Amino acid sequence: MIITLVIICVLLVTVYSRESKGGLFHRLQRFSMDVVSPLQKGMSKVLSPVKDGIGFLVDMGKARGERNRLREEVKELEDKVNNLEEAARENEELKKMIAVKESNPQLDLVVVDVIGANPDIWEQTIQVGAGYDDGLQEYMAILSEDGSLVGRIIVCTANSSLVQLITDGKSSIGAKLQNNAEMGIAKGQGGGGVRLELRNQYAEVNKGDVVVTSGMGGTCPPDIPIGTITEISERSADLSIGILIEPRARLTRLEKVMVVVSPPPKTSPIEAEGGG
Amino acid sequence: MHHRLTFFVILIVALLIQLTVAPEISIGTVIPDVLLVATICWALLEGPGQGALFGFFGGLLEDIFSTAVLGVSAFAKTLIGYFGGELRQRIVSKSVIWPMIIVFFGSILQELAKFAAWAMVGLEDRPPFSFGVIAGLALYNALIALVIYPVIGRFAVREERVTLFQ
Repeated sequence: MIITLVIICVLLVTVYSRESKGGLFHRLQRFSMDVVSPLQKGMSKVLSPVKDGIGFLVDMGKARGERNRLREEVKELEDKVNNLEEAARENEELKKMIAVKESNPQLDLVVVDVIGANPDIWEQTIQVGAGYDDGLQEYMAILSEDGSLVGRIIVCTANSSLVQLITDGKSSIGAKLQNNAEMGIAKGQGGGGVRLELRNQYAEVNKGDVVVTSGMGGTCPPDIPIGTITEISERSADLSIGILIEPRARLTRLEKVMVVVSPPPKTSPIEAEGGG
Repeated sequence: MHHRLTFFVILIVALLIQLTVAPEISIGTVIPDVLLVATICWALLEGPGQGALFGFFGGLLEDIFSTAVLGVSAFAKTLIGYFGGELRQRIVSKSVIWPMIIVFFGSILQELAKFAAWAMVGLEDRPPFSFGVIAGLALYNALIALVIYPVIGRFAVREERVTLFQ
């Protein structure tokens, strides 16, 4: 029987292929389509919600793929934007550093990368990616990109150095008021602030006064901005007054800093000498 | 008599579903081949002779109600129906997965047979061959076999019928 059926099929195919468009089988097909088309139209209307539902599900599947692709694209674009922003910020910092260099021709500055920070919350230090091999040595002053004092090197190895920030509790820097040259010592408070101890208890001091390095002690060159006075407390029984300085350098957002390699530090820090 | 009636009722219902419902539940360009699934299911329940007959008439009606080359679907479905029925003798598992697997591969074979037939008659404007579409069709057909097989199984009457797949 199977052979008979196959032969009939082959005959049908042969006859159909050879007959013209107006042949019997072609006409039969057209007639059949005419007969069934109203039924198809009706069913199409009835089943349109089903079709829509399937289309919705298919679209959902496609949307998921599209969503994943777009997420990838957004991530790539975000990475690109981040890189560009990073480059722009770095460029801005370098411009500022060049300006600092030009305005301080007496200083020989070396730009170094900040490579880490001390995880110990009690020590305000950062690590820079340069050391003895790059011409650095202990007690050299570190400046931010805008030329403000960041701190100084306290440990120097061949390829990296540890920098004590001016806010560190053990930091003491020879300082003076910029407007009247009253001398004092800027001492770190360990929590992000710096306190100024003036030698002259009766010196005129006001909020907003700028404090710069005095150059005393020889570890920091003179006239490098430290910060601005933000708070002056009343005189205590020993006649001393508490003066708080807000550091000008953004000590929590340092990426590149400048090391003052020349003039080199002449003495050890202020703790040992009593002036810096 | 009752058996013949069932044969024709299932055939006509499958044809109507193929012509009206199937295009409405298409996924992309893939329209399920209800007649093929019905052919294989009938063949698996009734054997090769009945499978070939069902495939022949189903394919012939499909060809008549379309603009395809008359006889090509009939040819492909006759063969698939016959060989599907032959498998009935060889598979003893009752797992429902078998009809789906047979429908899946039967769908692929049918499309290959159609392309072979079109090539033999020298049909010039035959559709471009896409295995992706064929695989999609095979998957879709296998899926609807899950529904169609039990339905046909209920109506198919045959004294010595043994329900091999449930």
